[in-house]
Amino acid sequence: MKKNKVLVVGWDSADWKIIDKLMANGLMPAIKSIVDNGVRGKLATIDPPLSPMLWTSMATGVRPFDHGVLGFVEPDGQGGVRPVSSYSRKVKAIWNMLSIEGYKSNIVGWWPSNPVESINGCMISNLFHQEKVGKEIVEIADWKIPEGSVYPERLIEKVKDLRVHPYEITGNLIMPFVPQAVALDQKQDKRLNVIAKLLAHATTVHATATELMTTEPWDFMAVYHDAMDHFSHAFMKYHPPQMKGITDEAFNLFKDVVIGAYIYHDMMLDRMLKLVDDDTTVMVISDHGFHSDHLRPTHVPQVPSGPAIEHAPYGVIAIKGPGIKKGESIYGSSILDITPTILSLFDMPIGRDMVGKPLVDIYEKEKKINYIDSWENKKESGGEIVIPKEQDTDLNDTALQQLIDLGYIDDLNAPHQDAENYLKGIINENNFYLAKSYATAGKYEEALEILLEIENKEKPDFRILIEAINCAVKTKRFKLAEEYLNFVRKNKLMNAGYIDVLESKVQLGLNRPDNAYKLLQSALKENPDAIEILLDMGRLLNNMRDSKGAIQSFERIIKKDPENPYAYHGIGMAYLQQGEYEDAISYFLDAIDRLYHYPLAHFHLGEAFALMKMYDPAIKSFEVVETMTQNIPKVYRWLLDLYEIIENQEKIEHYRKLVSYFRRGQRKIITGLATEKVEKYIEDICSSGSTVSGYESHLYDITFNVSQANWLDDLSSEYVYVPLNYLPSLNGLNSYQIYFIEDSVEEAMNYSHKINRIRANSIDLSLLADLDKQITVANSWISQQPNIDLIRI
Amino acid sequence: MGGQKNVIRNQKGDEYIVPPGGSLGLLALGSVGVRAWKKAKKEWEDSQNQQVEKK
Repeated sequence: MKKNKVLVVGWDSADWKIIDKLMANGLMPAIKSIVDNGVRGKLATIDPPLSPMLWTSMATGVRPFDHGVLGFVEPDGQGGVRPVSSYSRKVKAIWNMLSIEGYKSNIVGWWPSNPVESINGCMISNLFHQEKVGKEIVEIADWKIPEGSVYPERLIEKVKDLRVHPYEITGNLIMPFVPQAVALDQKQDKRLNVIAKLLAHATTVHATATELMTTEPWDFMAVYHDAMDHFSHAFMKYHPPQMKGITDEAFNLFKDVVIGAYIYHDMMLDRMLKLVDDDTTVMVISDHGFHSDHLRPTHVPQVPSGPAIEHAPYGVIAIKGPGIKKGESIYGSSILDITPTILSLFDMPIGRDMVGKPLVDIYEKEKKINYIDSWENKKESGGEIVIPKEQDTDLNDTALQQLIDLGYIDDLNAPHQDAENYLKGIINENNFYLAKSYATAGKYEEALEILLEIENKEKPDFRILIEAINCAVKTKRFKLAEEYLNFVRKNKLMNAGYIDVLESKVQLGLNRPDNAYKLLQSALKENPDAIEILLDMGRLLNNMRDSKGAIQSFERIIKKDPENPYAYHGIGMAYLQQGEYEDAISYFLDAIDRLYHYPLAHFHLGEAFALMKMYDPAIKSFEVVETMTQNIPKVYRWLLDLYEIIENQEKIEHYRKLVSYFRRGQRKIITGLATEKVEKYIEDICSSGSTVSGYESHLYDITFNVSQANWLDDLSSEYVYVPLNYLPSLNGLNSYQIYFIEDSVEEAMNYSHKINRIRANSIDLSLLADLDKQITVANSWISQQPNIDLIRI
Repeated sequence: MGGQKNVIRNQKGDEYIVPPGGSLGLLALGSVGVRAWKKAKKEWEDSQNQQVEKK
């Protein structure tokens, strides 16, 4: 029986913004044929967006802290460093899983895949085409096949003549990228050499891949091209529209390079499509996108991996083949979903320990998905690393030099470097990426632990400090965050505006929104158009229930970046809080339209529908959230409530189980403006033998801090007094019986005067307005919660 | 170029002359294109060398 095959083509940093324009002009017909006859979607990347980490996540289905590939370089175990290699990977890759099941794989150029593995099939590593020794390019006659770059060895004879050396690249081949190449002084200007090198690399990968496709048996073929990313880093600044600071001459010379690179990749894809039959599933993917418009940064930070600032958060995915939908879009895909999806194409089980999910929406018919606990439990390895007979130091030096040239790592030969410190720096750098990987997965404790270990105040690194402050805020270690902030401020390690932004997060965590507001205002004075600061400001104003101000802030973002999904979500939140649900829905849909994989937007859309009593769309929205994340347990509570309303017993049972899994039980809360009535009510409860926590300190509300971790759990009495303005800080894990002691704002003002020993009957208009606002906000919040029983007293 | 022309055939059987300077279309053909180009380039270089020697 004829078996279905799967071909995966990886284009590092390919971005739909460019592809769509070229497809519309008929310039990328091959990818268009996949899009027209298959499905397309955005592929969300993960942080940090560094290619070796990302492509390993794509090939394993797990995050970097699980797969072990943590950057561009790694210690070589002999006191030096080498380019990141297959040695670092701690888990099985897709080609190992396929080998175990008896499928043949041909893998070409995957980053990292050197040294190669003894898989069931063939492997050509990412270092196969290196043409330098250290900084020097070797002559064609002296160009050796690197040790450990080809498996099985018999292939060397077959592929050795397929490598293209940059010196072989002729004017004919350069001209489509730079039509006026002859006008350049090539002795002075090395940019044509860059094009020659990238073109030679891409051509070598492609020639080798097509050779294996046509002469070696295979079930799975994966080809990875890094050239598109390197072309983009070198030439995107010249891509139209002309950026500020780029001269007319440079713009006119190099404006076609990125377009040329995309078209050439499409030509290579076209050839591959001609070499497969209709029973082959073809998948084109990229690990992240690349900013090509007004979002291009004007400055690339001079730090390791600084160029990654040019990466956009969404790559591409396009799939066609037997049983795959035609002409449709898929949503919510992430790079972590690639391996589970390939496994599903082969009807192989998916490891429950994989973070990604199979993209079942690609299939025309419902696909049955099988699971196993873990591929790591299989005794067979599916391919061992073929350890080279000799350590090829030249090869390592060459690959390291390429990374230095690209700006991804520091130069060991720079005047300030010595070998020991360099190694230490590399280990720290990788640990920083490890911490970022943990933080991205919401594992802030683990991230902070690493950051505290690598942070060195004698050699401060602002990236580590920023991440440490963010993680300290997330784990509610505000003192630590403040300590770092003071250090950063004292040593002027960052632009003052950015320090203000960080401090505003701490102040917000400490529940001091007014301080946070002042800091963001000051940051905006320095950076009036900074989208991130405007987002923080809008969110803060939403928290402070200043909907008008929040909307203004988000609208400023939309003016600058009409595609910013977070701004639309923010405006939706402002309307939701005001109870204007129709407007809220419209903005949440706008946000989702721009970014489908946005669980919070779906969640709030669900809330808006539920509050409008539109139960079916509400359920649909919450169920979408459920597929995207398990970090919003309140969604299960909503679904339980909604299924109770529409009386679906089966679902009620299902969600009741989930709610009870997450629920920490019911708490009794006493709230209300601080007045004598509240004081009296609490005294009555206490005299009846019940206990009330929070009363002594919170009623007078001087030091109360709801932002402390687990503050509610610490208050273990039968009742807890929570000041009215802190009600929205109650978490979604408990359900609450709220005793709302109602009284007038005048009584609350008098009580406040009494506590603060201010003369009775004096009127403080701003206090009155504030108390009024507290009542409005609390009522609005209570009305929007699914987990509250309210008793008004 | 040398006496025998370097040609590459498509699926219909049409023949194309392989330019020694190469072309992106040729390289995009993969292994077939790269081999044909390298052959044409080598023959052209050899013929150039022969001409120099004759002079």
